[in-house]
Amino acid sequence: MNPASPDRVVLDPRFAPPFPQAALPVLRNPQLRKNVAHAIDVIQAKRGKLVAEKTDWQALRAAASAIRSHALEDLGTYLEQFEERCTAAGGVVHWAADADEARVIILDLLRQENAKEVIKIKNMTSAEIQLNPFLEANGINVFETDLAEIILQLGDEEPSHIVVPALHVNRSQVREIFARRMGLEHLSDDPKELTNAARTYLRQKFLNIPTAIGGANSLIAETGSVAVVESEGNGRMCLTLPHTLITLAGIEKVIPRFRDLEVMLQVLARSATGERMNPYTSLWTGVTPGDGPQRFHVVLLDNGRSSILAKPKERQTLKCIRCAACMNACPVYRQTGGHAYGSVYPGPIGAILTPQLMKMEHAQSLPFASSLCGACYEVCPVKINIPEVLLELRAQVVNQERKLAGRIFDPMYMGLRVANFLFSNAGRFHLAQRLGRIGARLFTRKDGWMHSLPSVGGKWTQTRDLRGLPSQNFHEWWAARDKGAK
Amino acid sequence: MSSRTSSRQSILEQIRTATGAVANHSVDTAEAYAALPRDYVRKGSMTREACLERMVERLREYDAEVAETAPNQLLDTISDQLKASGMRVFVAPEGLPGEWLVPGFDWKVDHNLPIAEIEAAQGVVTSAFCGIADSGTIALHHSQAEGRRVLSLLPDWHLCILKASQVVETLPEYFSRCAKPAALATYISGPSATADIEMTRIKGVHGPRFLHVILVRD
Amino acid sequence: MSLQTVTSMHASLFITCYNDTLFPETGRAVVRLLERLGVELEFNQRQTCCGQMHANTGFRFEAFAQAKRFIHLYKDAEAVVAPSSSCVAMMRDQYPGLIEELGNEDLRREFEALLPRVYELSEYLIDKLGIEDVGSYFPHRVAYHASCHGVRALHLGERPYKLLAKVGGLELVPIPSAERCCGFGGTFSVKNAEVSSAMLAAKLQDVVSTRAEYCTALDNSCLMHLGGAMHRQYIGMKTIHLAEILASTQADAERFPVEATR
Repeated sequence: MNPASPDRVVLDPRFAPPFPQAALPVLRNPQLRKNVAHAIDVIQAKRGKLVAEKTDWQALRAAASAIRSHALEDLGTYLEQFEERCTAAGGVVHWAADADEARVIILDLLRQENAKEVIKIKNMTSAEIQLNPFLEANGINVFETDLAEIILQLGDEEPSHIVVPALHVNRSQVREIFARRMGLEHLSDDPKELTNAARTYLRQKFLNIPTAIGGANSLIAETGSVAVVESEGNGRMCLTLPHTLITLAGIEKVIPRFRDLEVMLQVLARSATGERMNPYTSLWTGVTPGDGPQRFHVVLLDNGRSSILAKPKERQTLKCIRCAACMNACPVYRQTGGHAYGSVYPGPIGAILTPQLMKMEHAQSLPFASSLCGACYEVCPVKINIPEVLLELRAQVVNQERKLAGRIFDPMYMGLRVANFLFSNAGRFHLAQRLGRIGARLFTRKDGWMHSLPSVGGKWTQTRDLRGLPSQNFHEWWAARDKGAK
Repeated sequence: MSSRTSSRQSILEQIRTATGAVANHSVDTAEAYAALPRDYVRKGSMTREACLERMVERLREYDAEVAETAPNQLLDTISDQLKASGMRVFVAPEGLPGEWLVPGFDWKVDHNLPIAEIEAAQGVVTSAFCGIADSGTIALHHSQAEGRRVLSLLPDWHLCILKASQVVETLPEYFSRCAKPAALATYISGPSATADIEMTRIKGVHGPRFLHVILVRD
Repeated sequence: MSLQTVTSMHASLFITCYNDTLFPETGRAVVRLLERLGVELEFNQRQTCCGQMHANTGFRFEAFAQAKRFIHLYKDAEAVVAPSSSCVAMMRDQYPGLIEELGNEDLRREFEALLPRVYELSEYLIDKLGIEDVGSYFPHRVAYHASCHGVRALHLGERPYKLLAKVGGLELVPIPSAERCCGFGGTFSVKNAEVSSAMLAAKLQDVVSTRAEYCTALDNSCLMHLGGAMHRQYIGMKTIHLAEILASTQADAERFPVEATR
């Protein structure tokens, strides 16, 4: 990843430009915006239909939310239980405090296997720790196997969504990438033909590469099992054919019992892809003699999660099951797509998760990348109150920044301080209204509207007019009326 | 190794500090778990017949082919399905009832078949653990008759034999049927699919492209 | 047809800072409407702001100061009516957290006693007064913008539609994707001006597709956003707060054209 190149999409919060700036190239890219809007409109419509038919949807949400909250409240107990049962079933559990440690653990495991190549199941956590570039730099060829991930890997593109990561790429772009990278000049842009090309491209890799890396949708404490949901069967290939499987999962992924899947699976498929059930769900426990990988490792990743857990309002962020319903519902994401968020986690959940994973040292523009419309909370299957967390993080950013010298004369900070001073006393407020009325006259045109304002106001008048201030405020009218009555 | 051991320690300590919990309080945890709200639909309300119809309807929505048959006609139905597939080489799990291996086809029974032979087969016939009508899902627990996971994965054509008595209406009812948690399971809802290119649903990526189900009215 | 009215109802107006400053006609309409229905109104001249702008931008201490001020000013009111769903949402969703973090037990008690008596305008009409037909007349084609706070914070649901259905002469036309945000979001509209404008452009397309004469809502903030773009682009549609539609009567229509010209 090269932070110096201006055209390159940067999904590393340490180097990415702030959200408002990163959004600009997307806003001016009609192709990208059409691709994004089309994709999320399709998923949203499917989700809407299936949620509407589910008479117990709200009860399922309540249960899913309660299961996730409960698992987090007793996370230590459940993780230890998972570790014990997984180990008893022949798995090996590793703990990684941060991205560095997780990468090193995985590289060591691959070296023990003498692996030169590895096949991968789409896994957001691996993107979070930027595993692929690290493995490649250490001489290991990584083959993504999810169709969207192949498109991104071969096209040297960055993911823009957590469930449909290549939704910003359309069929003719996919055709171009596959034709170039797979040497298939005569490929058409028919999605069926493109999908077949991917099947052929990967088949021998599935059959011959003996090491796989995957993730987890759930870790089950009761049994030490892991569950992975998917659609294409690439996951099943990676979970079944290799000799060695490494599962990388965030520590928050644990659920208490096997039976909790009856809730989690129902809400996940509907929320993520608008299906009653995803085509394949795989569940395995450690190592099964004669069936599937005979060496199995789980890497449990903290990477900032335990510090999120410590904060009562923010803790709910960790309930997330990565269904992406929030970004599909988000009117901001609908305009910008995922790249503007400068993180592998875009959309509303990314806006709260990314800065927290960065311990509030990077990505401070993200909590402000929302109009607080509440659509994300409304659709969230585990009831994460994203607006509430956004507000909490905004307060933290302001508390950090208001001490900085550079912010004292920042128009926004000054404006809000002055506003507070005025609002604290009606006399002051009314005086300011009168002065504002006089000042506004300078900018008000003959049509009675302001078309161009200075400073922060100029941000408004970039695209909107503002009606000139009325000659009489409401409280003045009331006072005059009162007087008239007496 | 010592640094990793210490990561385990430090992560768990941080978690415990964060949650304010202490180790070994499994009684409280169990109580809190038992009190979680579960007001969703657990038991279905359909008649048996409607439930089976729903199962068939959902499977067909996924583009799965469904044939219904009576127990005494099962072998004929299997034979018909295999013939109609136009294929000859089929793999069968070790524990598949012997009579289901109907004559006229090249059967490879899985006594630990090498991957290459499974890959070379054209189709596979398995039984199932359960069918879930609400979502048209087939649950495999990979018993001897359901086969190792790889059997129902590599061949492009999968015929699954499901008994009506195995069909439940809701997902929670499936979980009620599990006497103990499944250690190994695959839930299949239609043939493998993707919508990664412009949200156009394409049937068949890496898993079997063709799913056939025989519903035995037992 | 005689107008349904009430007796011995008292309400205290919280007009909100931006309506006072920018949209006094909305306040006057609320007065005309509620007095016509028989409600006795009072207006505390000391009111300013609920603190929403500060809270939503992360200025929590400042927001708390305004919250405290609001609670002290209104604690004895029989009912508080505000023609702004986002301000009422601020009180319901954010005051409790602010009080917990920065306030004390007394304030919490005062707030909890007050909150059930705070109404957004359509809530006051339908839930408190039990009136859907307020005797208004507005012979125009109107599109209703369901603002985010009205829909997802206050759960106003059918209330505004019930009121609109009883307005004489009014033709209501639905806006496609009616519940999608217009992109205003308070300081979001200037902190993320370009993204906000893109959201506005998308919303405007949907609103304009209705070919309505007026776009109405229960929040002047959304209407200021939509109306500002309509004016900039010579779209020829006007924005009007629902209170102003409800305040209009047949006599008004005959005597003088609609007051609100934005």
